Amino acid sequence: MSTDAYPEISFESRMSSVEFRVSEQAHITVDGKKCADCSTRGCITACPANLFVPTADGGILFNYELCFECGTCYMVCNEEGAITWSYPEGGHGVVFHSS
Amino acid sequence: MVVPRGWPWGGVPLLMTAGSANTASLNIVACVKWAELRPEIDPLHGSVGDQPRGSGLSSSDLAAIESALVIAEAWSQSGTESSVTVLCAGPEAADAALQDLLAVGVERVVRLELKEQRSSAQVAECLAAVLTPEHLDAQLVICGDVSADRGSGSVPAFLAHQLGAVQALGLIGLEPTGSGRLTATRRLDGGRRERLLVTAPAVISVEGSVADLRRASLAATLAAKSKKIEVRVLRTDSPVEVHRLRPWRPRPRVLAPPLGDDALSRILALTGAQASSTSSRTLVLDPEQAAEAVLEQLAAWGYLSDAPPT
Amino acid sequence: MSNSDVPDVDVPDFDVVVVGAGPAGSAAALELARAGRSVCLLERGPYPGSKNMYGGVIYGRVLDSLIPNWWEEAPIQRWVTRRSTMLMTGNQALTVDYRSNTWGEAPYNGATAFRPDFDAWLAAKAEAAGAVLICSTTATGLLRDGQRVVGVRTDRPDGDLTARVVICCDGVNSFLAKEAGLYPPSDPANYTLGVKETIALPREVIDERFAVRGNHGVDIEILGCTGKVPGGGFLYTNAESLAVGLVLSLPELAKCGRRPEEILAELKSHPAIAPLIEGGEVKEYSAHMIPEAGYKMMPELIGDGILVAGDAAAMCLAAGIWLEGVNFAIGSGAAAGQAAARAVQRRDTSTAGLGDYRRRLEANFVMTDHRKLKDAPHLVMSDLAQQQLPRIACGVMEQLFTVTNPEPKPGLRKIIRSQMKLNNLKLRDAISQGVKALRTYG
Repeated sequence: MSTDAYPEISFESRMSSVEFRVSEQAHITVDGKKCADCSTRGCITACPANLFVPTADGGILFNYELCFECGTCYMVCNEEGAITWSYPEGGHGVVFHSS
Repeated sequence: MVVPRGWPWGGVPLLMTAGSANTASLNIVACVKWAELRPEIDPLHGSVGDQPRGSGLSSSDLAAIESALVIAEAWSQSGTESSVTVLCAGPEAADAALQDLLAVGVERVVRLELKEQRSSAQVAECLAAVLTPEHLDAQLVICGDVSADRGSGSVPAFLAHQLGAVQALGLIGLEPTGSGRLTATRRLDGGRRERLLVTAPAVISVEGSVADLRRASLAATLAAKSKKIEVRVLRTDSPVEVHRLRPWRPRPRVLAPPLGDDALSRILALTGAQASSTSSRTLVLDPEQAAEAVLEQLAAWGYLSDAPPT
Repeated sequence: MSNSDVPDVDVPDFDVVVVGAGPAGSAAALELARAGRSVCLLERGPYPGSKNMYGGVIYGRVLDSLIPNWWEEAPIQRWVTRRSTMLMTGNQALTVDYRSNTWGEAPYNGATAFRPDFDAWLAAKAEAAGAVLICSTTATGLLRDGQRVVGVRTDRPDGDLTARVVICCDGVNSFLAKEAGLYPPSDPANYTLGVKETIALPREVIDERFAVRGNHGVDIEILGCTGKVPGGGFLYTNAESLAVGLVLSLPELAKCGRRPEEILAELKSHPAIAPLIEGGEVKEYSAHMIPEAGYKMMPELIGDGILVAGDAAAMCLAAGIWLEGVNFAIGSGAAAGQAAARAVQRRDTSTAGLGDYRRRLEANFVMTDHRKLKDAPHLVMSDLAQQQLPRIACGVMEQLFTVTNPEPKPGLRKIIRSQMKLNNLKLRDAISQGVKALRTYG
């Protein structure tokens, strides 16, 4: 990339361009025990909102707040039932405006 | 309450029905505003664009509606039939969302169309005109603390003044006690809290953290589809007229030509450079007297009227 | 749930409940309302389209029969009059660019639009025809009487809704179709992830950079921009913004160790793309899953009292040179609506009674195209199309147009052969894939 190109925005500014009406109830749950056994951890790379973060003790830390509700995480998860995922409460979650 | 001379809106207090806490029914009105929640600001010229679906009721306005419902339920239980009306300032685009409010237990929704941009005081006056005993007959008015679109939180204060009601603003908690009464909690400096006992008629405003608006049941949502919301359009000819809008600033003073033999002394006389400046005063007064003194001083400096100061 | 829980189905709340007010759901509700059936259209977002995102173009011919002269009122951004296909490597790009100004006049061909605008418009059409639209309501499950679907449970208090037919237009994740047992276990290889940036730029700048005027716009589909992950890219113009995005194969993305926005940043900095988006400000980032495999991943479309349409039925067509979805959603939704209306009228909403849905899909473009192009998604995601084709094409162009004086020009045959060798493509493979492609697209 040439030096005079516009720098890529930070992930935080990228996510701040999206409206999320956060529900009090989490729509994602993660079974940490199953994650500890997981060797692939596809959710960490594939989740477009970067909601899954590995922890030092071999577990996975997850957030549900800024979720695009795409379903990638449970789809790429190869530990049966490690990620439980449903739609958030009606009226909550991501709200697109110019998508 | 005294209406100071020369206030620009020249309002006359419309007193809420006093002692209505003892009457058979109490009307609680949540005053809310349909506002731009995600304004799009042009980075180049700073103009604010409106996103077609970026408007709505702020979290504090929703908290106001939920608080109204909670209070109405509690008051009804303690023997005084209470109902909730939502009075919303906003355009026609708000109607669909306002209709959903009819499903959560709000008895009546009135949308107020204010045709021009107005000051907080004028907005309060328009609201007050609808809240009077002849119309909505509000005994308790609940507002969100600050409107989402660059609000200052002053409308509820102006409204309390207009209605001649007591006020408790910026509340972080409230609890209905008996009919027409409630305990309100307010934040003070230094992490302290202030607890206020409020008796209707009153105007209160709440922060968004106080409550989340409940979800309507499916049946109520379906039923609300056929209900109508009332619309009132307030144009310039009623009840107030906006002549012009501008920030308040002192009027220019007319000064006599400076006296002096040479240029330097005339400049000194003109600028008052070596003369003593306006001396500061420390007054210890009652709140009412203090308010009068502040108004007097502001008027003397020329802030409160269009006429040049005497 | 046990039968005692089931409310009286003799008098259901509605003839039909449509779950999801996207293009499929709204088209279904519109058809049902016009047929005089009572229909409830459920949407989990605060407004229709609030959860929806796509990779760019709405082809509106399918709307002609639903909404005459739709182009006069549909909230579109630009009419696509330039359609480009770009093959790229790290620093090369070969573009096939087609322009047709007849696409910029009524009855038009394709348009770019913001889905919240378009989907809300279509849902409003259904509402105006008599459908009851309920937003901010998630359908959490099906109500059943034995095997028969008799309604949906929503997450609102007191939220059961009974109906003679439930039409699932609840999108790519379709939990309802899965709950009804219409889907085999999901294979992630059938899905892709789409990510997209909407980038604000002044209208005049877009007009200049893309050489279009007025409400005419451009759609560029890109191959070879996703590194080792099979997929593709796109760039298209809105009125006062661009949309640039990627489609990435799920299992490969999970394996590759690079995050989607990193791959997107690489596309944005490509010499063929960077000058087009330079100076723009990211207005919105979005992501969505795509049922990429089309025909081969389609669920059972009909169950007892239930129909599946749109992305929920994998109706998205990802066939390389044709990338369509909204039109297939509308086509399948409308067919589901018509079939359900007929079944309700005949008082037979069993699997057999709803069989008309499949017949309607087979009779029009929806199933015909999907069946014909059933091998296309696989072909597009193959190593040949993803890795070798862009490199060989760009390499051939490079050699063809590099003037090598005083060396004489090499012959085209020699160039192609050397590029195929360079990229480990055997002639036999090339021919067999070529024949396969001809058979698929021919």
